[in-house]
Amino acid sequence: MAIAKAERLMNLALCLLGTRRPLSKRELRGSIEAYLEAGTDESFNRMFERDKEDLRELGLVIETVENLDGDTGYLARRDSNRLPPITLDAEEAAALGLAAKVWQQARLAGAASGALQKLRAAGMPEAEDAYEVHSALEPRIPVHEAAFEPLMLACRDRRPVTFDYRKANAARPEQRQVEPWTLECWRGHWYLAGWDRGRGAERVFRLSRISGRVRSRAGAFTAPVPDVVTVRETVESWAGETATRTARIRLRTGAGYPLRSRAISVRELGDGWDELEIPYGHGLDAWLVEFGPDVVVSEPADLRADVMDRLRAVAKD
Amino acid sequence: MATNAIDQTRRMLSLVTYLRERPGAHVQDVARAFGITEDELISDLDVLPMCGTSFRGGDLLDIDTDGDRIWWHNPDDVAEPLRLAADEATALLVAARAVATLPGLRESDRQALVRATAKLETAAGEVGAASSRLSVTFESEGGVFAEVDRAISERRRLWLRYYSPARDELTEREVDPIRLFAVGHTYMEGWCRFSEARRTFRLDRVAEIRLLDAPSAPPALELRDLSEGLVHPAAEDPEVVIEVGPGGRWVAEYYPHDSAEELPDGGMRITLRTPDPASLRRLALRLGGEGRITAPRDLAESARSAAREALAAYDGTL
Repeated sequence: MAIAKAERLMNLALCLLGTRRPLSKRELRGSIEAYLEAGTDESFNRMFERDKEDLRELGLVIETVENLDGDTGYLARRDSNRLPPITLDAEEAAALGLAAKVWQQARLAGAASGALQKLRAAGMPEAEDAYEVHSALEPRIPVHEAAFEPLMLACRDRRPVTFDYRKANAARPEQRQVEPWTLECWRGHWYLAGWDRGRGAERVFRLSRISGRVRSRAGAFTAPVPDVVTVRETVESWAGETATRTARIRLRTGAGYPLRSRAISVRELGDGWDELEIPYGHGLDAWLVEFGPDVVVSEPADLRADVMDRLRAVAKD
Repeated sequence: MATNAIDQTRRMLSLVTYLRERPGAHVQDVARAFGITEDELISDLDVLPMCGTSFRGGDLLDIDTDGDRIWWHNPDDVAEPLRLAADEATALLVAARAVATLPGLRESDRQALVRATAKLETAAGEVGAASSRLSVTFESEGGVFAEVDRAISERRRLWLRYYSPARDELTEREVDPIRLFAVGHTYMEGWCRFSEARRTFRLDRVAEIRLLDAPSAPPALELRDLSEGLVHPAAEDPEVVIEVGPGGRWVAEYYPHDSAEELPDGGMRITLRTPDPASLRRLALRLGGEGRITAPRDLAESARSAAREALAAYDGTL
């Protein structure tokens, strides 16, 4: 039976951490049973390169050293791999325990529990009873978008990417070349901010509108990365939360609680209707139409016309 | 449970460090400390004796267990605590910063989290830097949150005035709260005393909230697994078919659905099930020219007549 990958990785990690001098590939192959069973040199080399990458992903700093014979040697020095001293009390440990549970994405969930295990191994105390000490809250970060993981890695490693992106009202996706800066989750959806090479400008993308695969490109970023990237403001303006004007509407008494809770003023008209002044930002027309015959727009005229257009489109279906 | 090799390797590296400090540790305690099942731990303990700095030199890890306690007979200084990887630092730091901004988190928990985050940033060093490239914001419904949190800890019933968008109305309810959770928005799961059923309430739709003196006594329920999403239509729920143009594709992003079929014009045909199709009249109106409901017929008709009635109000007004 083939030797399990975890056993092979563990052996390579222990060999590299245990040695005081760089070990050549030949020595490593002679020390690790799974490599002896690897068959050809080529399949061993492929396996070894992949394993080295996997261990680096796990945080191991593996140095490559050329020895006098021109052979390449590898080692993971103790002092560059040791966790700096960190002392956490039971409350802090419990709080981190709560935080580690929020990821619903396999890679980050695995990484978060891995971090806790390292801290635990380094002496982090255990909570008395995990369920009594914290808040009743169970925060969860949803990640449904397939594009998340490749983009997260591209942001981390500062690698340009290309992907197909369909704008909100476009019939077909278009290919975009992007230098990814940051990912942000707002109201349960993920957004990417970065430099759009084709458009020569900063852009925000909604991950759910990316179709197909995210491909990473060779080469470095060409545009400077700003210190502060404001994904939130862009997304809020899409969501109509940055109102620039106000609108006056009539609303049937008792209806439209969310409109009332946002209103600047509410006046009873006494005939079964109230008059409201509400902030007028992007998307208000679509929202008002949801209330059907319980809302009548008084002004401004452009909003009134937009709402009537939308109603006509539904009425004639 | 299937374990991926990366996660298992990561765990075993920490495990040897942990075991070195605790000769004769109990299987049960170690599994709890590592957040894994006892079976997962035992499968790690099966692998570890095959690992060492050389299988030829006979310096394999001599770790064994009798199923209750774990012994390492040749402990080794290779087992030092390892530095955090970039992904590990990112996963924990991003989550900790997000949770610390949650409104209604108890102040003592928040302070503990802020302290822990600072220590973690120091310990992570430069690999922690990438964590600034990811951020998460939870919704803020602070006041309501604090009341629900208090009701849960004091085991008291709640009175709510709650907005139902499906009916565009406020209803009053008494609810025995079970738990709070956040998936994008913040929600309370509770036992509604009027409908005598489990209900989920979105906190930004709570118009008013009061703690009652009556004790909360929800029936014993199995908690739902939130990783599967919040909406679970039943097989017998009526089917709704919505056809949208390119401008209505967002419907597939916001509404859990059974199928979403691409249409030649760049639009989609979305099929979903809901116990209450009438609640989708709002959606039909909102879509305007960007889509329409094709089934059930009476739902499509009710949207049309609502639009006609609304338009009538504009005739003759300014």
